[in-house]
Amino acid sequence: MGQRLTGAEILLESLIAEGVDTVFGYPGGSIITVYDKLYSYQDRLKHILVRHEQGAIHAAQGYARATGRPGVVIVTSGPGATNVITGVADAMVDSTPVIVIAGQVGNASLGTDAFQETDVVGMTGPIDKWTYQIRRPEDVAPAVAKAFHIASTGRPGPVVLDFTKDAQVGVGWFEYEKCDHIRSYALPAPADEAALDAAAELIDNAERPFVVFGQGVVISHAEEQLKAFLKKGGIPAASTMLGLSALPSDFPYYVGMAGMHGNVASNMMTQKCDVLIAVGMRFSDRVTGTPSHYAPNAKVIHIDVDRTEIGKIIPVDVGILGDAAEVLERLTAKIKFSFHDEWAASARRYDAVEKAKVAAPETAPDQGPINMGEVVSKVAELSGRKAIIVTDVGQNQLMGARYSRFADTRSFISSGGLGTMGFGLPAAIGAKVGEPGRQVCLFVGDGGIQMTIQELGTIMQEGTAVKIIILNNNWLGNVRQWQELFFGERYSQTRLLNPDYSLIAKAYGIRYRCVSERRELDEAIREMLDAKEAYILDAHVVEMGMVYPMVPGGRRLDEILLNKDEWYRDGE
Amino acid sequence: MENSNMYIISVYSENQVGLLSSISNIFTRRGINIESLTVFPSEFPGIHHFTFRAITTERAAQQVVGFIEKKVEVVKAFCFPDNSTSAAEHGIMEEYLQNRNQ
Ligand SMILES: Cc1ncc(C[n+]2csc(CCOP(=O)(O)OP(=O)(O)O)c2C)c(N)n1
Repeated sequence: MGQRLTGAEILLESLIAEGVDTVFGYPGGSIITVYDKLYSYQDRLKHILVRHEQGAIHAAQGYARATGRPGVVIVTSGPGATNVITGVADAMVDSTPVIVIAGQVGNASLGTDAFQETDVVGMTGPIDKWTYQIRRPEDVAPAVAKAFHIASTGRPGPVVLDFTKDAQVGVGWFEYEKCDHIRSYALPAPADEAALDAAAELIDNAERPFVVFGQGVVISHAEEQLKAFLKKGGIPAASTMLGLSALPSDFPYYVGMAGMHGNVASNMMTQKCDVLIAVGMRFSDRVTGTPSHYAPNAKVIHIDVDRTEIGKIIPVDVGILGDAAEVLERLTAKIKFSFHDEWAASARRYDAVEKAKVAAPETAPDQGPINMGEVVSKVAELSGRKAIIVTDVGQNQLMGARYSRFADTRSFISSGGLGTMGFGLPAAIGAKVGEPGRQVCLFVGDGGIQMTIQELGTIMQEGTAVKIIILNNNWLGNVRQWQELFFGERYSQTRLLNPDYSLIAKAYGIRYRCVSERRELDEAIREMLDAKEAYILDAHVVEMGMVYPMVPGGRRLDEILLNKDEWYRDGE
Repeated sequence: MENSNMYIISVYSENQVGLLSSISNIFTRRGINIESLTVFPSEFPGIHHFTFRAITTERAAQQVVGFIEKKVEVVKAFCFPDNSTSAAEHGIMEEYLQNRNQ
C-alpha cells in the first residue's frame, strides 16, 4: 500500500527508488518546496550546489558519461530553466541521459507571464528527448518513472520535467512502479537477420574492410563485442571523438581517431576501404569531410540504434537497426575468420609520416615554449593512461583527444556535437562526483574556463578533487587557428587579456602552480596528479600553436594539411 | 535536384500538451512550410490523428517522418504523395497496437 505524501516528497522518493544518490542543482522560488523537503533527505540524496544552472547540467552530463547512469538536475523556473537549455541541447546531440526537474509556477498562473514563468515545454520540446509538465501530485511518480525509462533506453538523451507548484505542494498517494513499457515508444528490437546476413557477406568478401565506431559502442557496453568482431574479421578500426577509449589505445587493430583533426591513417583508410562498417556513430560533418566524397570506394554498412541516423548523411548498402552489442555479437558469429594483414599494416606507414611531421614535433620538441600536445601526452604518460580525461572545446579539446592514451572505457568526456565552450569544468566535477575513485583531468582553454569559471566555487564547497590543466595561450586558439589559415591572419576579437589565475585559485582556496619551462613540466604534472585535492596547473603554452593534421572544412578526408604549407601526399 | 511535390504526412499519436508544436517544429527546422493541418481523434481509442500537407521532396518527407516517429508519444507516422491514399495505414496501425497493447 502506498502512503500520502506531497508531490515534492514523491519526487524525492521516486528519485531514490530509481537508485539516485546524487543530484546537481540550484534553488529558487518555484522549486523551494522541493528544497525544503530535500532538507530531510540529506542522508539519502546528496545535493551538489553549483554556481550557475549551466554548471548543474554539464556536471550531470559528466556524471552520466563517466558512470553510465542518468544525471539528475534540479532547478527553479524561468531563468533557472533557461540556464540549463544549452546543456539540454548538448546532451541531446551527444546522447547523454540527463533528467532535468525544473520548478514551474502554479497551474492557475500558467500562460499569464507570472513572475519567473517561462514556456519550458515549448522551449525544450524541440531539443530534448521528452518533455512533460507535471500538474498534479499523483502524476509525479509515473512521470519520473517514464523519464528514467526514456532517458536511459534506446538512444539515450535528456528529458525535462516541468514541475508546477500545485504538483509540488499538493498531496497524493505514493507508490512507485518502474516503467518498462510505453505504448508509443518501442525499445530496440533484435536486429533483422537478413540485414546481418547481407552485412556478413559484404564483410567476408571485402579486401579492405574498415570500422569506424562511435559513442554507441560505449553506451551499449559493446566494447568486448567490438574487440571480438575486429579480431575475428582481422579488421582495422578508427574511433570518432566521442568513441575514444572504447578500445584501449594500444589495441592491435586500432588505428586512431577519425575526422577533421583525426589521424592520417584513419582518414586515408576510410577513403581506401572497400567495405566501411559504421558502428554507433552518426557521420557528423566533423567526421566525414565532404559527405559526397566520403569513403568513395566503399560499400557502407551502418549499425545504429536510431533509425533516423541510418542513411541520413551517408547512403548505406546495408542498414542494421539495433543495439551495438547485440548486433556485433551476432555479426561476429556470422563472419569468417579473416586476415587483412597488409591492409591493416598500411596504418603503420601513415602513422610514421604523421609521427615524423606532426606528432613528434608537437609532443617532444627540444626547444621553444611548451606545446599543448606535449602537456597532454605527458599527463597520459604520468597518469598511466588510467585517468578520465575531460576537455572543454577548442584546441585544448583536439589536443586532448589526439594525444591522450587510454586503458579503460568511459575515459574521455567532451562536448562533441554541440561543441559547447564552458562544458569542461562542470563536466569534470560531475565525472569526479560519479567516479570518486578515479583520477579526473580536465584540459581547458583560457577562454573556455572563463565561461563557467564560477564552478570553482562548487569545487571549493564540495572538495571535489579534479585536476584542472589550463592550456593557456592568451588566445581563443581554435578560432585564431582558422583566422590564421583561412582569413589572412586577421585576428578579429580572438586576443584575450586574462586574469591572474593564481589569484583566482587563491580566492577559491585551490592549489595552483604555473608552469612555463619545459624542465619543470614533468615535476609539475606529477605534483598535480599526486595531489589529494583539486589542483590548477596553469600551463603557459606556445601562443600561436596549431592543431594538425587538419582536413579543412569542405574538403575530402584525404586532403590533409600537415602544416601550414604542406598537404599530405600519399605513397611517400 | 530532387523534385518537390505535395506530400501528406500522417501521424498517429497519444494526445499530449506541446506535442503539436514540437512536431510542427520538425518541419520548420528544415524550412518546410506546412500548407494545411488537421487534428482529430482517430478510430483507435486514445489516439489522435494529425495530417500535415507540405510541399517537399520524397527524401525530406521520409526524414521528417523518421524524426516525428522519434517523438516519444508518436505511435506511427506515414508519408505519401498527395495524389494517393494509403489503405495500408489502417492495417499497420491495428497490428502495431495489438502487439503493443498486451
Ligand atoms: C559557447 C561557445 N561559444 C563560442 C564557440 C566558438 N569557439 C570554438 S573554439 C573557440 C576558442 C576557444 O578558445 P580557448 O577556450 O582559449 O581554447 P583553445 O582553442 O585556445 O584551446 C571558440 C570561441 C563555442 N564553441 N562555444
